[in-house]
Amino acid sequence: MTSPMDRGPSSAPPLLLTSLASAGLGDGRGDLECVRESRGAPTEWGGVYAQLVRLTGPWRIELALGDAHTDLPSCRQEAGEFPGGWTSRHRWNDLDVVQVVAASPQPPGVVRELFLRSGSDREVSVVLTSRFSPYLFPVLVEGIRPVELVAETLPDSLSIRHLGFALRASSTVGSDRTLRDGRPWLGDKYHGPMDEIATVHTVRLAPGKTAEIRWQICGGLGRDLEASLSEVGVRARPAKDVAALRASDDLRWTASTPELHFPDAPELEAGYRSARAGLRRLYSAPDASMVGLVAGYPWYSAIWSRDLAVMLPALLWLGDFDWVARSLRSVFRFQSRRNVELLAGEPGELPMQLAPGPIFLYGTSDSTLRFPAVVEQMHRHTGDLTAVRDWAGSVHRIVEWGVARTDLATGLLRHGGEAEEIGLATAGLARIRYGIDSPDTTIWDSADRREHALDVQVLWWETLRSAARLLGHATDPDRGSTCEARAARLITTIRAKYLWPEQEYLYDSLRDGAPVARVRPNALRAVSAGFFDPGTARGVVRRAARADLTTEWGVRSLSADDPGYDPGAYHEGQVWTIATAWAAEAAFYAGDPDAGVGLLRTIVHRYEAEGGLANECYRGDRPEAFNSCYLLGFSVAPFLSLLFERLWGIYVDGVERSVRIVPRFPDRWTSASIRHLRVVDGYLDLSWSPGRLVVRWIGNGPLTVDVGSGPRSVPAREETALELPRPPET
Amino acid sequence: MADLRVSSVLRLATEAVGLGWDFGLETLEALAWVARTVQASVYISDSLVRTDKGFRFALANPPLRIGAFSSLRVLVEGVPIPPEQVRVRLTPAGPWKVSSEFGTEHPLELQAGSGIEFDTDWPIEAKSGPVRIRLELQNIAIPPLVWMEFRETPREIPTP
Repeated sequence: MTSPMDRGPSSAPPLLLTSLASAGLGDGRGDLECVRESRGAPTEWGGVYAQLVRLTGPWRIELALGDAHTDLPSCRQEAGEFPGGWTSRHRWNDLDVVQVVAASPQPPGVVRELFLRSGSDREVSVVLTSRFSPYLFPVLVEGIRPVELVAETLPDSLSIRHLGFALRASSTVGSDRTLRDGRPWLGDKYHGPMDEIATVHTVRLAPGKTAEIRWQICGGLGRDLEASLSEVGVRARPAKDVAALRASDDLRWTASTPELHFPDAPELEAGYRSARAGLRRLYSAPDASMVGLVAGYPWYSAIWSRDLAVMLPALLWLGDFDWVARSLRSVFRFQSRRNVELLAGEPGELPMQLAPGPIFLYGTSDSTLRFPAVVEQMHRHTGDLTAVRDWAGSVHRIVEWGVARTDLATGLLRHGGEAEEIGLATAGLARIRYGIDSPDTTIWDSADRREHALDVQVLWWETLRSAARLLGHATDPDRGSTCEARAARLITTIRAKYLWPEQEYLYDSLRDGAPVARVRPNALRAVSAGFFDPGTARGVVRRAARADLTTEWGVRSLSADDPGYDPGAYHEGQVWTIATAWAAEAAFYAGDPDAGVGLLRTIVHRYEAEGGLANECYRGDRPEAFNSCYLLGFSVAPFLSLLFERLWGIYVDGVERSVRIVPRFPDRWTSASIRHLRVVDGYLDLSWSPGRLVVRWIGNGPLTVDVGSGPRSVPAREETALELPRPPET
Repeated sequence: MADLRVSSVLRLATEAVGLGWDFGLETLEALAWVARTVQASVYISDSLVRTDKGFRFALANPPLRIGAFSSLRVLVEGVPIPPEQVRVRLTPAGPWKVSSEFGTEHPLELQAGSGIEFDTDWPIEAKSGPVRIRLELQNIAIPPLVWMEFRETPREIPTP
């Protein structure tokens, strides 16, 4: 038997099983163990996660017959996912073993089941050892594994706790003995460090009969675990039943989302299905009051607000209005009402990260600014204004937070220093202090982009514009007008200060009043926001497409010609799929759909190469994932949104019961269609051919549709053909 | 320092009341779990010991970040110890390495639960009271420096 650290990282796509409240991570070789390069070094991420708490490290099962023994990876014959779960077949010493694994939402955890059958003509006894390393800490601070655990055996399970976090391990076959750190343990209460727990079980196999054994490790917050177990019991349900429930939920969810057809680009269709399935895996409802999507796996398996805000627009296009509304409520529930220096919170600010407990902290410059536009978009897609006053109030608190960070002379939002503030606030408190000298907290948070990064200004403008619209709906015109005036002033400033004529590009930031002349893809956000005339927009897009920034596998976080470029540095040269999506969006905006579709294809090629997962980032000098979560919402959600917003060119204004549709398909395309696009209180089917759009609206009353030639009323339950105007020459 | 500590504690108390009022007492409890774990799970309390040549101490987990580190510095009262005078090993039984050996090609690799022992040739005065030790680590994939600091009175090496 070889440990996974010795075996090294698997070249196969990792195993990722998720439920709404748990996850099981493995390498697909037979156990829940998974070595991945992380931050430059191999790291073990396998095990069980529940309620955004890492319950265990690697979880392995060994088999013994007499003196011979093996582990599941060593005797694996085949393995693969099935709807809702994963299964593997093993053969060893005349023994056939089928394993089924599934992630369970209630109680949150993972169920593993073995079906064993012997080829012997007499009864044999198989000894099975289940080993795991307890962790019991949220994946909040990377690299911390608690050193103080409390363990005891209960009549029906093994209990391990660390402060308020807890796990229970149980099996359907009682254990002959338990080992703690390799030594026999009677199960009396133990308090102290613990590397490994193992339970040993004997299963007797009668000739020709199949025997089974099922383990479950579940947990999260101790108080929630007890409530969950008192409701459903400790005994695990069969893994196939758990998987079937997940599969049924997934099927229902998928059926409620739109179907897209691109006969001229079938790879984009496949990319859509892949990204949609990836996003679904990130759905998370870790406790009764917290809903969202985790940022990614393996090490961003928490609800990060920045990532959530990037994902929610895609959910609106997929029609999951309810999940968006619940996610927004989960985040806004923790909108800071006062200065909380220890958590770096300021009045109006939204948390950077959320986990059950509730555990949350603030302290980024951009997370908060991403939400007003999502709130506004939710109102546009649903057309529901019943709670708009409350939402407008919350969004206006964000405006006030932003105004407090605004440079009076320029109207530009100032960022940086957030992490330093936490350090200062805690300076006198703790005997042991920690820190990361990260002076800035934008989306490229390991890069110093102070004081006025252009993409942060775009977010500030989107905040002001969204607030103005929401305040308008909430009949608060005075504050709405103020926001509009601030937004207009901001555009003027950006146009005056960020143009970089020598590069035909846009400066990355301003510091001490001087431009920061670095070529980063973040500047493309200002193009997509529509701040610049078409000529300038096309020039910026062309500049971004040059080889120093754009590679065959995506767009770099910094130009390779920059003196600070490092192909292995997270935000100083690595390729990010989200940056590729930014470039695609800007290309569509600038009137270059061929370039836009080309960049979307680049993203799809990564999905294909990664077996349906979507890496966070790649080295800047070769198409190799490095320091990268293997599934990140950033890498799937923007791609999904782009298909609707930019390729199809759809803008929904449900408040006015209207939709604008200006497709931007490449010239040679002959057809495209969408079925079951949720809008307001109904669904749209769209069928495009050159010069013509057929609309079928299934809703209450007519819908106004504008294809660029003026609004047109489309009656419900009828097909309406609309002639498309010729696109303007660009 | 004492003034700073008192004012920090007062601010903590004030902010805690505010957080509890705004988001419920469960919030305070849960945030305390995280703070207590981070405080207790990295530096091994009382592991700072004077030795014949210098001092040694130990960590039970990496400070804040995992991964590959191309450099490691230890500072005493703000003074950096030359890297050839610092040795490091992963517990329980890794080989000792001199910190000057670390670089991009030969980084120090740390993951969750990696215990680390430090041994230095940097004498600190006997019975001098608490000493401020600072560690600085440079990750190869994420540029910003990671640091931790603790202040403790070193124990004398037990005589056999």
